[in-house]
Amino acid sequence: MWFIEILRAEYKLVYAEMLRRKSMLVMMLLYPYVLTGFTLFIGYSFGSKQVFVEKTGVAPEVFMITASFIVLSMLASIDDMIWKPLMDLWHGTLPYIIASPVSRIMLYAATPIPRLTAVVIIGSTSVIPVYALYYGLSGLFTSLIVIGLASLGAVFMITPAMVVTGLANTLGESWRVINIVRPVFLILLGAYYPRILMPLAGLIASYALPPSHIVELIQAFLRNAASALNALSLIGVATALFVIYAPGGSRSILLWERKKVKEGVKYD
Amino acid sequence: MPSAITTRNLRKIYRVKKRLSLVKSQEEVVEALKGVSFEVKYGEVVGLLGPNGAGKTTTIKIISTLLIPDGGEAYVDGYDVVRQASEVRKRIGLMLTVEKGFYGKLTGKENLEYFAALYGLSKSEAGRRISNLIKVLELDKLGAVDKLFEEYSLGMKARLSIARALLKNSPVLLLDEPTLGLDPPSARKIRELVKSLAREEGKAVLYTTHNMFEAELVCDKILLINRGLIVAEGTPSELKSKIPKLRVITITVRNGEQARIGEALTPLVATYSVTSNEFGETVVKVSTKSPEEILGEVIRALVACGCDISSVRVEEPTLEDVFIYFSQ
Repeated sequence: MWFIEILRAEYKLVYAEMLRRKSMLVMMLLYPYVLTGFTLFIGYSFGSKQVFVEKTGVAPEVFMITASFIVLSMLASIDDMIWKPLMDLWHGTLPYIIASPVSRIMLYAATPIPRLTAVVIIGSTSVIPVYALYYGLSGLFTSLIVIGLASLGAVFMITPAMVVTGLANTLGESWRVINIVRPVFLILLGAYYPRILMPLAGLIASYALPPSHIVELIQAFLRNAASALNALSLIGVATALFVIYAPGGSRSILLWERKKVKEGVKYD
Repeated sequence: MPSAITTRNLRKIYRVKKRLSLVKSQEEVVEALKGVSFEVKYGEVVGLLGPNGAGKTTTIKIISTLLIPDGGEAYVDGYDVVRQASEVRKRIGLMLTVEKGFYGKLTGKENLEYFAALYGLSKSEAGRRISNLIKVLELDKLGAVDKLFEEYSLGMKARLSIARALLKNSPVLLLDEPTLGLDPPSARKIRELVKSLAREEGKAVLYTTHNMFEAELVCDKILLINRGLIVAEGTPSELKSKIPKLRVITITVRNGEQARIGEALTPLVATYSVTSNEFGETVVKVSTKSPEEILGEVIRALVACGCDISSVRVEEPTLEDVFIYFSQ
């Protein structure tokens, strides 16, 4: 029951921010198109569409809009959580949250969900039209599956993001750490740069990230190369990793809080 | 029944890095609390007074579970603030700063709803309590209910902050300089509310302030803290009696001759002055450590020399005098 109340509160907080800060809403709507346009511009400058299709099996526009949507979904999971301690410090709400009886784990687990749902809704404005344009009516169905899978991947990102949130904020000058960790996470997802092309170290690190398996599944699905067994095994691995990260995530958040109260939560 | 707040020999040391040059730094140890012990009972407003850096905020932080002490113990409603922090958190209402502490893009009401969820209140209970607090703190009259927090005036922010502290109906309230920077009507409203919460609802309130006038008005007991130690405690009048300051008796008389008054007072008091004010009256000022012992004799002597006494005033030391005396 309490989780529902917390979730409701987080929804109100995130949606108020989004709807009352119009520039943020516009950015969220434009982000997939801007990113797709930018990557396509670079891609077309150095290579050809045919080569891209030969290598990936997907039209570059579809591949890039999908990648942008995946990245946006993952960012929704990571960003609200990873920046939360710093944002609360900035708002002056951190001491009130720490001095409240709320379960930290519940709060941090609820934090990314509102933006994630917003991203799914907003993301539909980029993924659905492009898929419909390229694949016709069946593209509509495909786009819904891609959106569903990307959302699932973003949910699987919650526990590793909790681990990073706790650890990054435990270190001094956490914003510097966060600014390094975020892009590394996004590269390791393999959304823009498929992980089969990564060097071994990158590949291993990518395998350790639960949503990267969902990204692989989406890419296989777009190439018509995803069998049911393949899909189930990738979702299974992602789920197992999500569960494995959970205790580490909760410990990491508690470690951060412990450090904060040891130093004294600042408010003056 | 346990005390609302008990601290025993609380100690806290901060290690601060002091920059000596571009690359060199030196660790500096600051002893913020050197053994602070006190009690706050239910139904009591206790003021924690002291100069900047005395240890007021550190004490509040420890009691509100925002800081772990290096030594000593602190209990809220019988629960240890370190080992039973989650129980303590259910029992405290907190007001730390007036200016910050809410989300700017949420309205006042939405902010209260957000914190109600963190405090575990159900939607219906939160709604009921928030409506009640909005009325009590007159946030509706100020038009603050549906206004974004970022558009609030300082007075509105203070009232909203108090409203959040009262959301849980906690038996213990920790208020850190709640009227700092407020206009007189808002400050008065908050003082009145704090007093009534203690008297009528039996809440225990720990209240830090720099404002001596306010401390005297609101607090039942005052703890003076300086350099990490409680240097004096008691009711405002008890504290005033502790400082060795001469009290001044000021007597205004009509038709009194200054020479005769001087002759009458010389055998009775060592230090006095006789002057005239702008209304042509004679003003007699007598300095003494114990006005209650000599006041009667002085009045009799003045009457005996034909003075018509129009007013008598004994100037007590102010709480500010006490504060300065113990802060030195």
